[in-house]
Amino acid sequence: MVGAVFGAAALWVSDGGRDPDTTTTFFSGVVGGLYLLTGSIAHLRRPGRLGLLMVMVGIAWFAEDLQVSNNPVPHTIGLFYRSVASASLVHLLLAFPDGRLHGRSERAVTGAVYATVLLLVPLGVPFYNSITPNLVLVADLTRLQENLINGTQIGFAVAVGVLLVRRWFVATPPARRVLAPVYGVGITGVAASLSQPGLPGESAELVKEIAHLATLGLPMAFLAGALRIRLGRTVVGGLLLRLPRADPTELRDLLAHALGDPTLRIAYPHPDDTDDTDNPDASELYVDAAGRPVIPRPQDAVTPVLRGPRVVAVLLHDPALRADRHVLEATIAAAALELDNQRLAAEVRAQLAEARASRARIVTAADEQRRRIERDLHDGAQQQLVTTALILRLARDRLGPDPSDPELGVLLRRAADGLEASVTELRELARGIHPAVLTEAGLMPALRALAARSAYPVDVIDGPALPPLPDQVAATAYFVAAEAVTNATKHAHATRVHVGVRVSANRLVVTVADDGVGGADLAGGTGLLGLRDRVAAIEGRLVVRSSPGDGTSVHANLPLEMP
Amino acid sequence: MLADDAELFRTALADLLERDGCVIVGQAADADGLLDAVERHRPDLAVVDIRMPPGHHLEGLRAAVRLRRLHPGTGVLLLSQHLEVTHLDELVGQSARGVGYLLKDRVTGPDFLSAIRRVASDGCAFDPEVVPLLAGQRGRRDELAALSAREREVLALMAQGRSNGAIAAELQLTTRTVETHVRNVFLRLSLPDEAEHNRRVLAVLAYLRSAPRATTSASASADSVDLGRKPAADDWSTASP
Repeated sequence: MVGAVFGAAALWVSDGGRDPDTTTTFFSGVVGGLYLLTGSIAHLRRPGRLGLLMVMVGIAWFAEDLQVSNNPVPHTIGLFYRSVASASLVHLLLAFPDGRLHGRSERAVTGAVYATVLLLVPLGVPFYNSITPNLVLVADLTRLQENLINGTQIGFAVAVGVLLVRRWFVATPPARRVLAPVYGVGITGVAASLSQPGLPGESAELVKEIAHLATLGLPMAFLAGALRIRLGRTVVGGLLLRLPRADPTELRDLLAHALGDPTLRIAYPHPDDTDDTDNPDASELYVDAAGRPVIPRPQDAVTPVLRGPRVVAVLLHDPALRADRHVLEATIAAAALELDNQRLAAEVRAQLAEARASRARIVTAADEQRRRIERDLHDGAQQQLVTTALILRLARDRLGPDPSDPELGVLLRRAADGLEASVTELRELARGIHPAVLTEAGLMPALRALAARSAYPVDVIDGPALPPLPDQVAATAYFVAAEAVTNATKHAHATRVHVGVRVSANRLVVTVADDGVGGADLAGGTGLLGLRDRVAAIEGRLVVRSSPGDGTSVHANLPLEMP
Repeated sequence: MLADDAELFRTALADLLERDGCVIVGQAADADGLLDAVERHRPDLAVVDIRMPPGHHLEGLRAAVRLRRLHPGTGVLLLSQHLEVTHLDELVGQSARGVGYLLKDRVTGPDFLSAIRRVASDGCAFDPEVVPLLAGQRGRRDELAALSAREREVLALMAQGRSNGAIAAELQLTTRTVETHVRNVFLRLSLPDEAEHNRRVLAVLAYLRSAPRATTSASASADSVDLGRKPAADDWSTASP
C-alpha cells in the first residue's frame, strides 16, 4: 500500500519529464505496479522474503523514476537513487526463489551492487549534470561518471549472468521448474535488448516491443515461479486422498511426486535413540521401513517429520524443496500420520525379528542346557551313586553271611535299596529332561524308544531314511511327538497312536494321530501351547486337528534349515 | 578286563570280581586302551562302560562291537546308565553268543556275578528291562503274537540267559512245566529241530532281531557266527545258579 502511494506520487512528479520514445508514465507505472502487485500476491500466498523483495523492486523502480521529473527538487533527490531498481533486481534475481542468498559469491555480488548504487552513485551526484537542473552540482564530470557506471554495470551484468548460469546448471529438476519462467523471460528480454541496435527499422521496433514486454513479463515470471511451487499444494490435496491406501514404497513415490523430487527418501530415526528432537540433522543413524540403516548422502537435506514432540520420520530430499517450506510442511503434515504408522510398523518389524531370533536362541540354549543336565546326571550323580552302591555291596560281602551285629546287615541292605531306587529315579528324570538316545542315535531310535516305553501301543511308522537333522529340529520333533503321545494316552484315552516322520520339500513333517476321544484344544492345554511356541521358535508350524469322537492328530512342519 | 573312565568304580568292580574268583588282567580308562589290552591279554570277558572318553558318547559301544568282531573268543558285557534298543541291536548284530547288555546299577544285584560268568563262557545276559522294551516295539509284537503270555515270560527269561531251572525258580513252576513252555516257544517260532542249546540261542536272537533293524546295526554282522551249524560245545545251563 505504501509502495503504491509512493509509486503514484513518483509517477505524478516525474510525469512531465517523460521522453515518449523510451518510457511512458503508463509503461513505467505498469511495470512498477506489477512488481508491487505480484510481490503482494506472492507474499500473501506464501509469506516470506521473496514477496517483500519483489515489492522492494517495485518501490525502487518508482524511486528511479524521480530523476525523470522536470522539477529540480525531486529530480535531484531522484539522482541519488537513480540505479536502486537495478540493485534490487539483482538482489531479487540472485535470491529467487526462496528469498535468500546462498554462498559467498552471491552475497558478495549483491553487496557490491548495493554498495555501488547506494554509496558510489550518490557520491557522484554533485558531479553529474543533466537536463533538469541538479541542485547540488559542483563540477561537471558527467561523461566520466557515465563511462565508469556503464563499465561497472557491464562487470556486474557479467557477474550476475555467470552466477545465474551456474545456478541453472547445478539446479535439480524441481529447482529448475521454479527457475524456468524467470530465466525464460529474462533471456528473451536480454536477447531482445542486445540484438535491437543491429536490426533494421521495422524489426528493431518489433524487437523493442519484445524487450518492453519482457520487462513487463519479468514480475509476472517471478510470480509464476512462486506459484509453481504453490501448485504443489494441489498435489498435496491429491496426496491426502491417496495416503490411506499407500504401502511403504508407494508412499515414497507419492511424496516424491507431490514434492517433484525423484530422489526423495523416507527414513526413520533408529529405534534406539528416539525423542531426539533437538538435533534431527545430526549424523545419527536412520533406518528404512524394513529396519535397514539409511545413510544420508552429502547433498541430502534432512527434514524431520514431527508428530507432537517426536520425530516420526525424516525426509531426505533435494535442498531446493526448502525454497517453499510451506509446501514441504503441508506435504509433511499430510503424510505425518502415515509415516508415524509406518515408523511403528518398522519398529515392530525390527522388534519382531529380534524377538524371533532371541526366542530361537533361548530354545537352543535350553536344549543345550537340558543335554548338559542329562549328561551331568548320568556321568556325575548317577555314576557316583552306582559306585557308592557297589562299595556298599563290597562292605556287605565283607561282613559275611553271619554278621556279629545282624542289625548292621539290615541297615546296609536298606541303604543299598535306597541307593538303587535313587539311581532308577535319576535315570527316569534324566530321560525326561533329554533322552540320551536322541543325541546318541538320532530321532527315529529315540521315537522307537519312546514308543517302547509307552504304556499304550504306539506305532512308529518307518518311512525312507531321514537325512541328518539339525539338533534343534530333531529335539523339537521329538518333544512334539512325546507330548502328543502323552496327551493321547493320558487325556484322549486312545487305544492306538501312530507316529509318522517324513521329509518333504526341505521340511520335516511329524504327524501323531490317535483314535481317542478328540476335542483337544491348542489354546486349552498348556502342553500344546508350549509345543506351538517351541515349533514357532524354529519357524515351524503346528496344526492340531481334533473334533470330539474323531481322534486327534498333531502335525508339526519344521524347516530343516533355519532362515 | 575292565574298561570304565571312572577309576573308583573300576577299582570297586575289580575288587568284587576278584573276591568272586575272577582274575583281572587289565583295566582301561578309554576305548583305545581297552582294544590294546584285549589284544595283549585275550581275556575271557571284557566289561565295558558305554560312555568313555574322549567324547563321552558311544565310544564304549563302538569298541565293544569291534571287540566282538576281532576277538570272538572274548565275551563282551556292556554296562550303561540307560538301556536303548538301538544300542542293543548294534551290539548283538547276528550273534547272541558271549554278549551282555546290563544297566550299570545291576553290578550290586544278586545276578550280576552269574551274568559275568555266562557271558565269559559264550552265553548271553540281557537286562530284564530290555525285554519289555523289545516287546513294546512294532514288528516284534507282531512276530511274538503267536506266543502266550506265559511263553513270552519264559522267552524273556531265556533272553536274560537263565537256565530252565532258574526260570522255574523265578516263575515258581516245576522245571518240567518250563521245559514244555520252552518247547512250545521253539515250535511257535518255527525254529529248526536242533540241539537244545542252539535252539535257545536262536529263540533269543529271533526275539532280539524281530524288530525293524536300525540302519547302523548291520555293520556288526561282518564275521558273525553261523549258529545253526555250530555244535553245542559249552555248559550253557550249568552257568547259572
